[in-house]
Amino acid sequence: MDRETGREQGRAPASSELLRLVFESAKDYAIFSLDPEGRVTSWNPGAERLLGYAAREIKGHSADVIFVPEERAAGAAEEERRRALSDGRAEDERWQQRKDGSRFWASGLMMPLADRRLGFVKILRDRTDQHRAEEQLREAEQRFRLLATNVPQLVFLARADGSRTWPSPQWIDFTGMSAEASAGFGWLEAVHPDDRAHTLAAWETARAAGEYQAEHRVRRGSDGSYRWHQTRARPIAGSSHHAVLFGDQVDWVGTMTDVHDLRTLHDRQQVLMAELQHRTRNLLAITQAIATQTLRKSASLKDFQLEFENRLRALSRVQMLMSSVDYKDIDLGELLGGELRAHDGNSLEGGRVHFDGPSVALPAAAAQALGLALHELATNAAKHGALSQADGRLDVTWRLEDDDEGRTIVLDWRESCVAMPRLDGTRRYGYGTELIERALPYQLGAKTRLAFKPDGVHCHISVGLGPKVSKA
Amino acid sequence: MTTDPVEMERRLHGKRLLVVEDEYMIALDIAGTLESLGVQVVGPVGSVREALAIVNREEERLDAAVLDINLRGERVYAVADALLARHVPFIFATGYAELLLDKAYMRIPRCEKPIDKRELIRQLATAMDQAH
Repeated sequence: MDRETGREQGRAPASSELLRLVFESAKDYAIFSLDPEGRVTSWNPGAERLLGYAAREIKGHSADVIFVPEERAAGAAEEERRRALSDGRAEDERWQQRKDGSRFWASGLMMPLADRRLGFVKILRDRTDQHRAEEQLREAEQRFRLLATNVPQLVFLARADGSRTWPSPQWIDFTGMSAEASAGFGWLEAVHPDDRAHTLAAWETARAAGEYQAEHRVRRGSDGSYRWHQTRARPIAGSSHHAVLFGDQVDWVGTMTDVHDLRTLHDRQQVLMAELQHRTRNLLAITQAIATQTLRKSASLKDFQLEFENRLRALSRVQMLMSSVDYKDIDLGELLGGELRAHDGNSLEGGRVHFDGPSVALPAAAAQALGLALHELATNAAKHGALSQADGRLDVTWRLEDDDEGRTIVLDWRESCVAMPRLDGTRRYGYGTELIERALPYQLGAKTRLAFKPDGVHCHISVGLGPKVSKA
Repeated sequence: MTTDPVEMERRLHGKRLLVVEDEYMIALDIAGTLESLGVQVVGPVGSVREALAIVNREEERLDAAVLDINLRGERVYAVADALLARHVPFIFATGYAELLLDKAYMRIPRCEKPIDKRELIRQLATAMDQAH
């Protein structure tokens, strides 16, 4: 054509020839004409290829067969012709059917011919692949929306500087902030003021790292309380999708996960761990000190072994009592009962031992020191005193006294009917004596009086329960 | 500076050292260890109030101090500050891990409980060395 027409300058090829050439060579387009009733009057090779009917077999027959049966029954073919006539063109996309019954997604255009008595021309193009791709994209988007709006996290889309372009409904629900108010950097309003600086700064490093991560408190709209959230975001992998889905400007997708309970638990665990370590180390230090002091006052290694083991047992009894009440207050009666039973299980039933007093809650620190002191008194009683002699009697009584300084426990340990070892006028300064006369006043601010009377030991201890004792 | 244990013990001889520890047995233990090296032990005392009273009274006569951190639930930091203000070197004896130690005192030497006596002596000698 070029060669033939090109020589005749300025003259366009006859449009009928152009049309014929297009008609015959447009392989990807089905082009055909129909009379006013829809019967085929011409059928190009593209139509043969696309629809499967040869020109000679379909000419003179209705072209309605290319509609899928359900649409044909609903009058889609007539409707198309009616629309073409009234609007000058009828354009749509729909499934159409080949001769073999297979279907393809067609983009179609029907126009009436200038001479309306001649009918219409229709052009169809197979767009099945594009249609499938679009459907998949739509499904992908639906899946994304489904995920993004139903996961138990606050989801958002943002630009690389951290400005947000889309908040999920969960964000709106949680913060009570509208999508408009959250857009750009509006969302920062819901972040705790102390956390805003690092929240923003993390976006600076995120661009280089390819990942955003920050923990911050986010205000809950319903009650104004702040809850810790972990926020992570990543750039959306450079796909052609994202431009279609979200527009060109969105680059990052992120989630904010409520980690408040986890974090609170973690903090509490750290404090507990530290507290446990402190207690353990302190206990070891006390054990070490007891060993040193016991060693200093022991005549032989055998003495040491016996005394040390007994003291460790007393210490562990108090520890067990303390752990059974979770290092809170300990009942004095229980502490004393445990100590006496450990020395002589029968003495409590025999009527020789009597103890009585109101229920008193001892702070753990006081309980430990008092427990060790009571152990020394009981040990002494079992060795030389009331618990070692058939006629011996032990009365332990205590009462509470309140005054301006607070509450005080006054405890009396009174042994009687005891044949005391011969008193030579000198005081035995044993470990127990030291514990009662020095350690209790030192660490509990207690007032103590220890006397070796002719008929038995008499010990008076008063311990303030005021603000002075609180160490575990 | 020396690392010789004997030299370190010698260095403590005749010095005035404050011991602040609320657990009597432990206080006695530390005091006993120091006294056996010829140290003049001031205290021991078991509360912030008593310790502050001593620091104020002693002024520059203290050569060093050993401080327990938790004294009946009260932190010893007020005593630490008073010692810092008077340039008296001191060390912490503590059951607390680094975790709970106030950041301001991170650089103060520490002996962890239960106390290793040689470590206590080494820390004290080093602290006194560095103060001069």
